[in-house]
Amino acid sequence: MDIFELLQFSFVQRMLIAGFLASIACGIIGTYVVVKRIVFISGGIAHSTFGGIGFAYYLQYTGVICIEPLIGAMIFALISAIIIGLPFIRKRLREDSTIGILWVVGMALGVLFLNMVDRSVIIVQDPVSILFGNVLLINMQDLYLMLGLVILILFITTLLYKDLQILTFDEEFARISGIKVDLLYLMLMILIALTTVVLIKVVGVILVIAMLTIPAAISNLFTHNLKNMMIFAIITGCIVTFCGSIISLNYNLPPGATIVVSLAFLFIVAILLKNLKQVIVKPVK
Amino acid sequence: MKKNVAIKIKNVSAGYENEIVIENINCNIYDGDFFGIIGPNGGGKSTLLKIILGLLNPTEGSVRIYGQLPKTGRKNIGYVPQHSEHDKQYPISVWDVVLMGRRSIRGIHPLYSTDDKKATIEALKKVNMEKYKKRHISELSGGQRQRVFIARALVSNPKILLLDEPTASIDKDTQINFYNLLKELNKNVTIVLVTHDIGVISSYVTRVACLNHYLFTHDEKMITKEMLEATYSCPVDLIAHGIPHRVLDEHKQKKKS
Repeated sequence: MDIFELLQFSFVQRMLIAGFLASIACGIIGTYVVVKRIVFISGGIAHSTFGGIGFAYYLQYTGVICIEPLIGAMIFALISAIIIGLPFIRKRLREDSTIGILWVVGMALGVLFLNMVDRSVIIVQDPVSILFGNVLLINMQDLYLMLGLVILILFITTLLYKDLQILTFDEEFARISGIKVDLLYLMLMILIALTTVVLIKVVGVILVIAMLTIPAAISNLFTHNLKNMMIFAIITGCIVTFCGSIISLNYNLPPGATIVVSLAFLFIVAILLKNLKQVIVKPVK
Repeated sequence: MKKNVAIKIKNVSAGYENEIVIENINCNIYDGDFFGIIGPNGGGKSTLLKIILGLLNPTEGSVRIYGQLPKTGRKNIGYVPQHSEHDKQYPISVWDVVLMGRRSIRGIHPLYSTDDKKATIEALKKVNMEKYKKRHISELSGGQRQRVFIARALVSNPKILLLDEPTASIDKDTQINFYNLLKELNKNVTIVLVTHDIGVISSYVTRVACLNHYLFTHDEKMITKEMLEATYSCPVDLIAHGIPHRVLDEHKQKKKS
């Protein structure tokens, strides 16, 4: 189908807006994640959200309270972020152990809750599309929540840009400069949690890591400036989510997967381009 | 002439749960000193530094920086951390690294001011690195990078410059340049330098102390070149046994060519 024909559909418009919002969040926070080398912390937080989504469906099913799956995801992401970021836990437990535990417990709880829900009573999103994303299923409510979170992320990172740069570059120096390092680290974890929530609907629980890592990594190949790295990562994210979504519609493939594969493809092209540039430039020097 | 005390360390002991790392340290560092603290790895040098910077509380005793507790007094200190500890792949330019040093003055405000930018240019000029300001930190040699971190420490106009193992992984020629730079800076700031490299600092410091669990300091007095050489070439285990170390007089000191 022609792209312009596709754009007539409101679900396609929602899909593209969602991709755009996700790209802003992952361009900014993904950059901090990549330079601070905490990709697996974000992985832990992302996977724990599966438990939250299951929990939300379970609550809907029992009729106790009706919360959106995305709100359930946010609650679980924030709890994980706070557990990882608490100074008390950072000092006592190995960070990678904490990550591993949150990662699998979140997944296990998700499976348990979804299993307890009777699917003839309420409509439950297919677990596969929760895990791998289905940008076609985004409704307006999701978009409003995503928009709100992106504005919040932009606001906090603009205010704290300077301090987050110092924290991610040199934690000891941050402490000496009078930055409340423990508090700021916790804030960074919370920002990662919020970004995760923005990304879940687009690429799914498991593929969140890809959106956080690959655009920033591609961008880092071409710039050595933190701010530019964020901007290039956002642009990369926008282009790839657009292309990935269109490919998925045209060939009837799962969009989360096409987006991630497109990202990986672009990453390889970018590395080749960069090396080619070096090969050409070097002999001239 | 009575000198003003910059850092006063009194009866300080510190360590971790079951292990005392440094014990009963007493030392005054005066304004204008070029103070060298030498000692073997594991002798407690970084523990002492953390206490001075207010990152670690001593189990006993106290430290005062111009009469203030480390947490408030440390605004007078420009700190140059160990060279090897930075991520060289971090996307940051020389300019942004130095500008970072203004955070302690600027506070949580989201933007740096024109004053901050002026101070950054001046600090880069002081270490002769202004023409590299746009470079990425990975595009510098070890010695150049070290100068950038000195500029970051100087940019807040501190009264004291505190350096941790500044010459580790720098070649000998660059080291001489580097110490000449420190000597030049010493005209305006007090310098405290911590190193396990006994050989090089001898001709630059005005006072010296040896740290290995205990700290050995001595009052200023004249010593001969031969004695000096004997002291600095003494094996590390002798330092541990408390062989006296001398302090050199700034004006009578013989320069190495």
